[in-house]
Amino acid sequence: MTKVLLIEDDNETAGEISAELADRGFEVEWSADGLDGLAKARDLRPDAMIVDRLLPGMDGLTVIESLRKDQVRTPVLVLSALGAVDDRVRGLRMGGDDYLTKPFAIVELVARIEALLRRPPETRETTLRVGPLELDLIERTVKRGDRKIDLLPREFRLLEYMMRRSDQLLTRAMLLEEVWNYKFVPATNLVDVHMGRVRHKVDGPGDIPMIHNVRGAGFILRAVS
Amino acid sequence: MPLRPAGQPGGGFGKLQLQFIRSKTFHWTAALAGLFAIFVTVLFAFIYFSIDSYLIARSDRAITTQAGFFAGLPRDRMISAIDDHLMQDSRGVQFAGVFDAKRDRLAGNIAALPDGVEVGAPARSAPLVSLDSRDAGATSVRTVARRLDNGDILVVGRNVDETAEVFKVVGAALALGLLPAFFLWLLAGAWLSARARRRVEEVNLRVQRIIAGHLRERLPHRDVDEPFSRLAAIVNGMLDELETTINALAGVGNDIAHDLRTPLTRARLTLERGRTNAATLEQLQEVVDKAIAGIDQSLSIVTALLRLAEIENSRRSSAFGDVALCEMLREVCDMYEPIAEDKQIALSVDISGKLSVRGDRDLLLEAVANLVDNAIKFTPRGGRVELALSRGQGETILRVTDTGAGISDQEREAVLRRFYRSDKIRNTPGFGLGLNLVSAIVKLHGFRLIIHPGPGGRVEIVCPDENSGQT
Repeated sequence: MTKVLLIEDDNETAGEISAELADRGFEVEWSADGLDGLAKARDLRPDAMIVDRLLPGMDGLTVIESLRKDQVRTPVLVLSALGAVDDRVRGLRMGGDDYLTKPFAIVELVARIEALLRRPPETRETTLRVGPLELDLIERTVKRGDRKIDLLPREFRLLEYMMRRSDQLLTRAMLLEEVWNYKFVPATNLVDVHMGRVRHKVDGPGDIPMIHNVRGAGFILRAVS
Repeated sequence: MPLRPAGQPGGGFGKLQLQFIRSKTFHWTAALAGLFAIFVTVLFAFIYFSIDSYLIARSDRAITTQAGFFAGLPRDRMISAIDDHLMQDSRGVQFAGVFDAKRDRLAGNIAALPDGVEVGAPARSAPLVSLDSRDAGATSVRTVARRLDNGDILVVGRNVDETAEVFKVVGAALALGLLPAFFLWLLAGAWLSARARRRVEEVNLRVQRIIAGHLRERLPHRDVDEPFSRLAAIVNGMLDELETTINALAGVGNDIAHDLRTPLTRARLTLERGRTNAATLEQLQEVVDKAIAGIDQSLSIVTALLRLAEIENSRRSSAFGDVALCEMLREVCDMYEPIAEDKQIALSVDISGKLSVRGDRDLLLEAVANLVDNAIKFTPRGGRVELALSRGQGETILRVTDTGAGISDQEREAVLRRFYRSDKIRNTPGFGLGLNLVSAIVKLHGFRLIIHPGPGGRVEIVCPDENSGQT
C-alpha cells in the first residue's frame, strides 16, 4: 500500500486531504508540525509527502532540505499560499518535486500526488506504446493500430506527454505547465480546445475512446484492449 | 518643531508673542547679528589705530626735521626762526622752546623744560605746558629735544590732536551705523521666525485636516522660487497622487465585492433550489457541480487578485534574462491558433528579424497571452488578430491588433483600473483583470503599455533598450 506523509497544521484541511487520499487507497500518516513531521519522514519512509509551506516548529521547505541532506529522495508536494510563491518554491519543480497554491481543488492535489508517485522511468525506447496507440519519437509519427494519425507538432507534444503518463489523471494546470510551459492558467479553456483536436484524431469514428474527459478535473489516456 | 494638534495655537496671546524668541530662526539671526557687531567694531578699531599711528609717525618726522633745521642756525637767527614758526601756527598745535644749561627758558612757547624729556632720543610723548594757556595745565605732546653746541637745549613738539577727532568720528560712525543695523537685524530675525512659525502653524492646520479625512485639502503656496513654496508644491503633488490612488482603491473595493458576489449568489441560488427540487442523486450531483463551478469562479477572481498583488510587489529582476520575443510570439500563436480557428478568426504573426529583450520570460509570456486572449475574445467571428514585432527608435515594439470594437478614448484609462469591464463587453466572459495583469507586468519591466483608440483594437508593449532589465 502506498504510504503518504501529510505535514499540515490546519486540522480541517488535513482531515479533508486524509479522507480523500484514504478513499483512493493511500495509507496516510499525518503530522501537525515541522519537527514531528521530519522525524516521521525519517522513521516511516513514506512513498510521497505533502508538506505545508508554513508550519509550526520548522518551516516546510527546511524540512525538505533536511531530508535531502540525509539523501532521502522521497518526492514532495509543497502547499503554499499564492502570495508566498517565491523562487525557492518555484525551484521545487526543477528538482522533481511539485507545489500547489492554496486554495486548490482536491482532485488537483490527488492528480499531482499520483504524478509524483508514478514518475515515468527514463527509457531509451524511441517508441511509446499505449494499447493500440504507437508513437515514434524519431520518425515523429503516430499510429493507432494500422491507421496513421497526422498530428501538428503541438498535438504531437501533447499526445507524447499523455502517453508517458497513461492511466493517470492529468489536470489542465499540469498540462499547461508541462506541455506548454505556462506558469499561469489563462482565462480561455485553451487545454480543452487542444485536447479536442487531439481526441478527434486519436479516437476516430467507430474506435473505442482512449482519451477520457474527467468532469471538473482533467483528462486521462486509457489503454483499451 | 513638533506638530501640535490643530486648535491649540500655543495657549495664550503673550506666550505666542514671545515664542519667536525661543525659535531656532531667531537664535540664528541674533547670533549672526552679534557676530556682525563684533566684526564691525574690530574693523573700526583697526581703522582708528592705523590712522592714529600714521598721524603720529607723520608728526614725529615733521618735528624731527624741524628740530634739525633749528639746530643748524646760530642762536639769534634760531630764536627768530622759532618765533616765526610759532606765529604761523594758527591752530596752536606747535610747540618749540630753547633752554640754557640751567634749564631757564631763552625763547619759545614752552613754560618749562619738562622732566620726561630725554635729550637726543627719538620723538616721544611728554607733558608740555604752553605759555599761551598755562592755566589749562600740561598736555601730552609728541616731543624731541636736542642739545645744541653751546650747551642750550632745543625742544620741538607737536600736539597730535587729530587722533582725538578721528576717534570721535569713528565712534560716531559706529553709533550711527552699527546700532541701528544691529537692531534691524534682530527685528528681521524676529519677523522671519514669526513668519516661519505662522507658516508651519498653517501647514500643521491643513495637515491635521488631511489626516482627519479631508483629502481635497492642499498646502498653501505661492508661485515663487522659495524653498517653503517649493516644498509645499512638492507635498501637494504627492497629495494629488495619493488622492487618486485612494479613490481608485475605494472603487476597486466595490468592484471586487460586486464581481465576487455575482458567482456566489448564483451558487447559493443553485444550492437552495437543488436542496428543494433534487429528487435523485444524479440531480443533486448536477446541482453540486454547478455550485462548485460558481465557487471556482469566485476563487479564480481571488487568485487573479493575489497574482496581481504578487506581480506588483515583486522586484525579482534576478529572474531576468534574455527573452527571444519572436519565439515567444510563435509559441503564443501556436497556443491560441485552434481557438482562433474555432471562431474563424485569422491569427497571424508578423516578425521582422530576431528581437529579444531583457525580462522574465514567464511573465512576458503571460502578458502577451493575455493580450491575445483578449483580442480573440473581443473580435467577432470572421475577424482578424495580428501579432507584430518591430523595431522603433531605440525600442522594440510588440503589437497586438484586432478587428474588434477596440477601446474608446475615454475608456482607455478606465480599462487599466482593476475589474473594469466595458459595458459593451459585459456579456463576454472574463474577469476584467487581464489588462491589469498586463499593465503590472509591463510596469515591472520598465516597459510602456500603449492602448490605441478604436475602431479596431491596437495594444502595444514598448520595450526601450536602455531600460530593459531595470525595474
